[in-house]
Amino acid sequence: MQQIKIPRKRFKDSDVLDYAIVGVGSAGGVLLQRLARAGFKVVGFEAGPFWDTERDWVSDENGSHKLYWNDLRITGGEHPLALGANNSGKGVGGGSVHWAAFTPRFHPSDFEVYTRDGVGADWPITYEEIEPYYELLEQEIPVAGPAWYPWGKPHGHPYGPHPMGGVGDALIAGCTKLGIPVCAGGPVAILSASHGDRPHCIYRGFCIQGCKVGAKASTLVTHVPDALKNGAEIRDCCMVARISMGKDGRTDGIVYFDDEGKEHFQRARAVIVCGYALESPRLLLNSACPGHERGLANSSGTLGKYLMAQAGNVILGRFENLVRMYKAPPAHALTEEFYETDPKRDFARGFAVQTVGPLPIAFAKQMMNAKGVWGWGMRRAMMDYNHWASFGLLGEILPWEDNRIELADGREGRHDARDRFGLPVAQVTFGLKDNDKKLIEFGRKKVEEIMWAAGAAEVVQESRYAHLVGACRMSKTPDGGVCDKFGRTWDVANLFVMDGSVMPTQGSANPGLTIQSLAARTADYLITQGETVFTSGERDMTEPPCRKSLAPPGTFTRGAPHLR
Amino acid sequence: MATDRNLPTDPATGAELAPREQPGYYPGFSTLKQKRYWDAATRKVVEERVSREKPIRFFTPEEAATMLAVVDRVLPQEDRTEERRIAILPDIDERLYKNKLDGYRFEDMPPDQEAYRIAARAFEEMAQKLHGRAFHELSVREQEEILRSIHQAKPQAAQHLWKKMNIERFWTMLVTDVVSVYYAHPWAWDEIGFGGPAYPRGYMRLEEGEPEPWEVEEQRYAWEAPADSITDVEEPHAGLRDHMTHPGQAGTH
Repeated sequence: MQQIKIPRKRFKDSDVLDYAIVGVGSAGGVLLQRLARAGFKVVGFEAGPFWDTERDWVSDENGSHKLYWNDLRITGGEHPLALGANNSGKGVGGGSVHWAAFTPRFHPSDFEVYTRDGVGADWPITYEEIEPYYELLEQEIPVAGPAWYPWGKPHGHPYGPHPMGGVGDALIAGCTKLGIPVCAGGPVAILSASHGDRPHCIYRGFCIQGCKVGAKASTLVTHVPDALKNGAEIRDCCMVARISMGKDGRTDGIVYFDDEGKEHFQRARAVIVCGYALESPRLLLNSACPGHERGLANSSGTLGKYLMAQAGNVILGRFENLVRMYKAPPAHALTEEFYETDPKRDFARGFAVQTVGPLPIAFAKQMMNAKGVWGWGMRRAMMDYNHWASFGLLGEILPWEDNRIELADGREGRHDARDRFGLPVAQVTFGLKDNDKKLIEFGRKKVEEIMWAAGAAEVVQESRYAHLVGACRMSKTPDGGVCDKFGRTWDVANLFVMDGSVMPTQGSANPGLTIQSLAARTADYLITQGETVFTSGERDMTEPPCRKSLAPPGTFTRGAPHLR
Repeated sequence: MATDRNLPTDPATGAELAPREQPGYYPGFSTLKQKRYWDAATRKVVEERVSREKPIRFFTPEEAATMLAVVDRVLPQEDRTEERRIAILPDIDERLYKNKLDGYRFEDMPPDQEAYRIAARAFEEMAQKLHGRAFHELSVREQEEILRSIHQAKPQAAQHLWKKMNIERFWTMLVTDVVSVYYAHPWAWDEIGFGGPAYPRGYMRLEEGEPEPWEVEEQRYAWEAPADSITDVEEPHAGLRDHMTHPGQAGTH
């Protein structure tokens, strides 16, 4: 059980910060730590609370509602997304508090999907440019997993793989029967042995309710403590309402509401938006002002567009023997054998197959959706809870222009819905296209096949989605996106976006590791650029050196597997 | 109603099974007996859930009478002895009273509170139209048939009220809300053999469904749903068109 000291340092409203970071989640936490360690004056503004994990978190499904972004958003389109607990966090650590903590890397192909397959978009960076940061974050989180991970660019992990639970055993059995290579024990951001003052996993299966142990990584425990030790400040329960623009075409700070609803203006020489795929574009849209009528950083017209969620169908299998899938981390085995485009299939790109571990309430909802039970049928299905295993499909839905987030400001046919500060909330529109539907159909059937091969007596499935990225995408040129390959917006030289919203495509990998790696790389870039970020409009596109020296202490005290 | 056959039966004999303190296949299992191994914050939350009686503040007395009967059909508990039934409506009432949302609203749905008020009226109107009595005065079978028509998105009456929202999304919200209360309760955990809170002790038997030393082995028994019930079936609900999503998808990725 880790103790984290609540910060006492407090910059004054009249101080001028170097960096104001909006959102202290996966990316914001890493940026806060790096920039503080490099000596900058930095404050992280987080809409949710700074958790005291022992006091605030409970080992209980129903009691964990507060970890999510539960404020109103509107969702629609042909295939509307369920938001809130599915994908958006609130509080220091953000989504990394409630993620299941799978941390695979993206594949080299993910960065040039358009060149290779003529779909989606190319990233303005290559796998080689992010690779040093994958290696670095896998050390510093750290990530546990197999010594040989065969997919994408093969690599190992610094901490050993976890033991299997019942669901992992089923996935291995099914894949083995079908000759599908499968991987056990990670990669997950969960300790298999203690690291510094963080204990190892106790296999209690409540990862998604927040890890009270501290074994599962969230930036709350991996980066925030070091950030605070190095002079960063976190203002929690502070909702950033608007990014302020100065007369010189640069941002001069942010406007936020504190816990009592009082409005403040905090001066800063640069602003980094790390609010994730909905709140980041929402903030830029809500910051529209003269000269930026369509929202900040939107000269390309792409702000809010190309929003992506991954296909996240859950396939459930009932076994004659007991499984008790509530034990062990939900994330403990996977296969990426179907990740890449297969020309024999009638769709581009692919999917991964992962273990999931729904607790009773989540499982009851799945029984409702997968079997249509209620009444005595629900009572009966639930009495068999311990006989079920479940796999998650993770499928690469492509970026489409009309999958988007806008403001519910009542204009141009949009809904009118405001939050408690009077700000228009996010309105999300989502729908699947042909490639997506074919991919999901194939993937669902494949995962069902694996479940049958594992020996299930009954197999059912629930259609749903997972994760949420895009809507402030990075691009090679100003007309193609919101920001450049470092997250610097094309339109405002001292305004940056760095979180899942910058992704042009999403692969079939959970986005968390890539988000933290991109954040660390952007931090290196900002540190290399130094004062010019605050004074110059010049855009130096040189890749920065990867600074191991700024990783949190204790990162490099362990060996790494020899894999050359 | 006296003529209702509302208790589950033994398939071998057809005789009704007496209500139990703890239905399910894990006799003698009690998560609450493990509470000294839980952390203080969790213990407090779970103990409050078991002991605190919540008042009805959102629903009017008339709405509450209807919804109590509705909830009893969505998740029946006649197989439990009366003092071991899990109260469900007060928690739903509290969520609506305190505006505890799930973080989004589908654009074709009114706010949750409005949806529930419309539904309460609609259920009442259906009962009067079809049977000339209040919903809570209907037989179990009559109540189930009304609810089943909502599950199928083909309401038998009061269509003008159901039209005010997406009826499939309302049904999934209702069932979601009910199961979210029931399966949050330690007695339900005992019923299904779920281990309950697990910090700081954790688990040691991770494979082959083996029980912890303090868990119990499964002891199955055969049972049929009550003779008058039509809900012991698997019938994909109308909202399950291809790729349609539903409320309450937390807890997997």
